Amino acid sequence: MERNIALVALFAALIAALGVIPQVTLPFGVPVTAQSLGVMLCGTVLGARRGAMAVLLFMLLVCLGLPLLSGGRGGLGVIVSPTGGFFIAFPIAAFVAGLITQSWRRVPLALSAGVAAAVGGLVLYAFGIFGLAQVLGKSLGEAALLVTVFIPGDAIKAVLAGLITSALYRARPRAVLSRA
Amino acid sequence: MTDVSLTLEGRAILQGVSICASEARIGIVGRNGSGKSTLARVIAGLQAPDTGNVRVHGIDVARDRRAAIRTVGILFQNPDHQIIFPTVDEEIAFGLLQLGQPKAEAAKGVRAILARFGKAHWSGASIHPLSQGQKQLVCLMSILAMRPRTIVLDEPLSGLDIPTRLQLMRYLDGAEAQLIHISHDPEVLAGYDRALWIAEGRIAGDGAPDAVLAAFKTEMHRLGGLDDIADLTG
Amino acid sequence: MISLTSPVETRAHDWPAGAKLGALSLATMALFAMGGVAGHAAAFAAMLALYAAPGAVFFRSGMARLRVLWPFLAIIVLWHVVAATPGQGAVIALRLVTAVGLANLVTMTTRLSDMIAVVRWLAAPLRRVGIDTRALELGIALVIRFTPMLAAKGTQLARAWRARAARRPGWRIVTPFVLCAIDDAEHVADALKARGGL
Repeated sequence: MERNIALVALFAALIAALGVIPQVTLPFGVPVTAQSLGVMLCGTVLGARRGAMAVLLFMLLVCLGLPLLSGGRGGLGVIVSPTGGFFIAFPIAAFVAGLITQSWRRVPLALSAGVAAAVGGLVLYAFGIFGLAQVLGKSLGEAALLVTVFIPGDAIKAVLAGLITSALYRARPRAVLSRA
Repeated sequence: MTDVSLTLEGRAILQGVSICASEARIGIVGRNGSGKSTLARVIAGLQAPDTGNVRVHGIDVARDRRAAIRTVGILFQNPDHQIIFPTVDEEIAFGLLQLGQPKAEAAKGVRAILARFGKAHWSGASIHPLSQGQKQLVCLMSILAMRPRTIVLDEPLSGLDIPTRLQLMRYLDGAEAQLIHISHDPEVLAGYDRALWIAEGRIAGDGAPDAVLAAFKTEMHRLGGLDDIADLTG
Repeated sequence: MISLTSPVETRAHDWPAGAKLGALSLATMALFAMGGVAGHAAAFAAMLALYAAPGAVFFRSGMARLRVLWPFLAIIVLWHVVAATPGQGAVIALRLVTAVGLANLVTMTTRLSDMIAVVRWLAAPLRRVGIDTRALELGIALVIRFTPMLAAKGTQLARAWRARAARRPGWRIVTPFVLCAIDDAEHVADALKARGGL
């Protein structure tokens, strides 16, 4: 019981800490923030329920006014900002990623988690594009055009999520609740 | 503690350990890896042994956790592994709230213990900027506020500089509880009432500190001449 | 951890957080329901006036936080200049800045402890149904406690990496970083159990 609370809270802190650390440079020289990677890892490592709880806890603290989003952003303004859709999608993406990782066990964890993170990413984009369209007063197609530049980076992040989850399982099998 | 054995991940950490001790200041020495930290956790009730039973002032600490937290406190080596809350007040109040005290009483208790340690100006302070020694002191205050009858100290002085170590030892010596101080450094246990030496999960020495610690030091120097650092445990 | 509450004390700091949040929700809904440029311009001006009321320091820090919206405002302006629909563009841009500005205003004038109190109040119905909300309060405290620690560990890991590598850390640093979090969780669980657990 205490272990669950501790893991949920620490993964929430992890997402926050990933926002504080400066951008990581991916292969092909694309700079990205690791925060959405952290959100996916909550799902692939902790599973659907606890992963979503960790993300919700993180979001609660952002809304309470802590500058935990990358770039030191926070507060209620995040929800009504153009990227608000992505923010709101965080826990759903983590939940979906966790669900896939938990359920799809016949393949190696790296593959299952990687696909899970990719599908989670699709969820993020779906909500994010919708939110962007609403706030900017554009159509869904137009909003989608605005985010295409980020797709390669996020595709790489999904692969990384798979590899990292697999490495974590080798190091600390008991902590990977999605495969408990 | 009667005939306690514990195996973790396939390795026998404690084997047939029996201790009956009522002295006020008890020291436990041993090499790293001898089982001392596990012994500390077993005494505090954080780990249940596979065989045998552990009673502290009559309480089965592993099973009766509610009574255990009133009876036994434990101070770990690294305060960052122990502090849960971001401010001094919340950290000290937590244990009191866990004991069932209402918020107002807990707040009074926090102020009282801060005053007793001459740290009333720490009220409202944040944990993050504190030094290791200061954090360790917060941990000690958090435990003493709960007034346990016994406190287990799992190498609390490691990693602190000499002045901080001496200051913290002064605070420890002034504590009203029975202290069970575990260390790999015999010097800190010199003035104690009784010393136990644990080696490879068993009691290798038990009695007056002068004799036990001297024998321990001799053995440690002998081992220093060998090369068992090369051995892999797995 | 430092929150986004403004150190400049305003009268709004003492108003009940729940009331401010409720007012914000209504204002935001109204903004997204309104149509004309004139209305949005008035709302925008009102928002600026609220920021200006506590003084220059508060105003400047408030405006600094809105700077993040630059790229989006630029997109809107460019788009609507090209499409020759400046009126629509003005509405969208004004609405965006006003909504975010009002939300930030609540954040800047509400202390973290007051926000947490609102959460506790909102969670009260759950308590009546028997759900233990202590875990939530503990969770909040733990995140506040451990975010700076994990961030510091991350920086240490990066330093250790750069001590032996020519290039800056890549994705490989994330795994040991997550392990730090997992190990910290084990210690926290122990520390909780040592003091009575949940």
